[in-house]
Amino acid sequence: MRIVVAYKWTSDPQEATVRADGTVDWSRAKPGLSAYDPVAIELARQLAEAAGAELIGVTAGGKGVAAPIASKAALSRGLDRVVIVEDESLAEAGRSQLAAVLAEVIRHIGDVDLIVTGDSSVDVAAKMVPTVLAGELGWPAVAEVTAVSGQAGALRVERAIPGGVQVLEVSGPAVLAASADAAVPRVPGMKEVLAAAKKPVELLDLAALKVPAASVVMTVTGRSRPERKARKGQLIDTTDPAAAAAELVTALREAGAL
Amino acid sequence: MDFELTDEQELIREAVREFAEAEVAPIAAELDRDHRFPYELLPKLAELNLMGMPFPEKVGGAGADEVSYVIAVEELSRACASTGVIVSAHTSLATWPIYKFGTEAQHERYLHDLASGRRLGAFALTEPAAGTDAGAGTCTAILSGDEYILNGSKIFITNAPFAEVYIVFAKTDPAKGTRGMSAFIVEKNTPGFSVGEAEHKLGIRGSSTPPLYFSDCHIPKDALLDGEGYGFKVAMQTLDGGRIGIAAQALGIAQAALDASVAYAKERVQFGKPIADLQAIQWMIADMATEIDAARLLVYRAASCIDNDRPYSTEGAMAKLFASETATRVAGKAIQIHGGYGYTESYPVERNWRDAKITEIYEGTSEVQRMVIARSALR
Repeated sequence: MRIVVAYKWTSDPQEATVRADGTVDWSRAKPGLSAYDPVAIELARQLAEAAGAELIGVTAGGKGVAAPIASKAALSRGLDRVVIVEDESLAEAGRSQLAAVLAEVIRHIGDVDLIVTGDSSVDVAAKMVPTVLAGELGWPAVAEVTAVSGQAGALRVERAIPGGVQVLEVSGPAVLAASADAAVPRVPGMKEVLAAAKKPVELLDLAALKVPAASVVMTVTGRSRPERKARKGQLIDTTDPAAAAAELVTALREAGAL
Repeated sequence: MDFELTDEQELIREAVREFAEAEVAPIAAELDRDHRFPYELLPKLAELNLMGMPFPEKVGGAGADEVSYVIAVEELSRACASTGVIVSAHTSLATWPIYKFGTEAQHERYLHDLASGRRLGAFALTEPAAGTDAGAGTCTAILSGDEYILNGSKIFITNAPFAEVYIVFAKTDPAKGTRGMSAFIVEKNTPGFSVGEAEHKLGIRGSSTPPLYFSDCHIPKDALLDGEGYGFKVAMQTLDGGRIGIAAQALGIAQAALDASVAYAKERVQFGKPIADLQAIQWMIADMATEIDAARLLVYRAASCIDNDRPYSTEGAMAKLFASETATRVAGKAIQIHGGYGYTESYPVERNWRDAKITEIYEGTSEVQRMVIARSALR
């Protein structure tokens, strides 16, 4: 069985600032694994360990995604190897373009039985890539996945739905988007961090992948920045919890929030 | 000159921080309040290979470099200074002398278990009347046939009684002073060896530091570490490295105090604006950040000396002196920034300040560090 985790190496928006013209300044934001991707890796790793499967990481993006620290960060979380497409033309790639590239990477790897992704990317958070990727491959896509077990061609997938859990039996390859709390990621041990540099890293050339050109082109032509609202900075004395709660409710009502 | 950490050092910081924030920070205040040793953390620390970072994998360690090790102690201490010293004392004071001075048989018997974190270690040098003057200890180990007989007591022993392996220093020839001192490996349940009540301390209350008592305690002759009369050398060389771990602990405490201060200064509103907008606060934050950065450079430089097989005694002393005094100063300023709230247990900075003070005292007081540094400067 061969399981792929599609991960994203990106910057934390908490460390980014929005410029006056609405564009985002990422220059001081530290790059890292997208926040929910360790959850996806952990979910896939548990399945891989139980099924004796190979666990491969894939990613595509602009400059930096193939930096040694990026692949080591992913590999230290239990991946057996990673396959990376780094091309500056992908720095601002939309979800359709990214999914099309990832689909070609999956075809390049071959014999992939399952793709797991995070709930969403920490920077864009559109939750679209898993679905578009599945569409590119002609596979089913399942979102909000909370558990997965079984073997290739006979997977049992649980997904959260409003008011309960849906259990699916999947007979072929699929793309699963893990829910944000599907698994608690293991912290990489020191030996895992140090061993990451010894694992295989395959770099693919974007041009050689021959990704079909998109039939529709979308370009961002404008951005606006919402006006920042002044903070009230109102402190509530919590010595008496009941009085503090009453004061909070009153303040929220006065502000029109309740 | 390269000030950049390697990828591995960066990733080790991230991994240890992830662990510390998830598992250590949430219990830090409770450990302090209840004077409770975080026994439940030991298997988790071992699983992440944090109990033997600088030792080779073949002896049970993580195979990391010394810089990575001090980064790990720094990050653990940023969450909980007690946890930081538990790891530092175990690694630098208990495991290192066995790694450095132990025989093959001693490596076989103890090193793998200690470096992998299966067993906890402790270092027993200080005595009631022999602190900084470590050579004045009166604990004795008299050879009798195939055994040494230990008598005397030790105090302030970090990790006792939870430790299973103790490096104990005793006089094999009291007439020879420091040259009559020897080091021994003593196992926990040896008859005649007992542990007293834990001290109630100002800070690092999650770290247990009780006295040890030896009363006609028979230990095998092969428990001797590095030969009779070499104990003082073993102790001093061990402390040379150990104090870099304490410097890293101080660094973590200082960083925690700064982080708390920055967060508080941005949130706390006085005179209609966050106090971070006030120059008086900004200057304190600026001084704290600068001193911490300087301390970090000294600590990493000292660790780097070990990694590059260069002398590190003076560098370690400078790192510990500056980082420990920085931690106390920075934590004091952190309380000042927090105002009245900082003086209460509602915020962590009072704990940071209490935890910081010990770093100026143990594993060599600031005065001892100055002696070491002056001796080198005046040579």
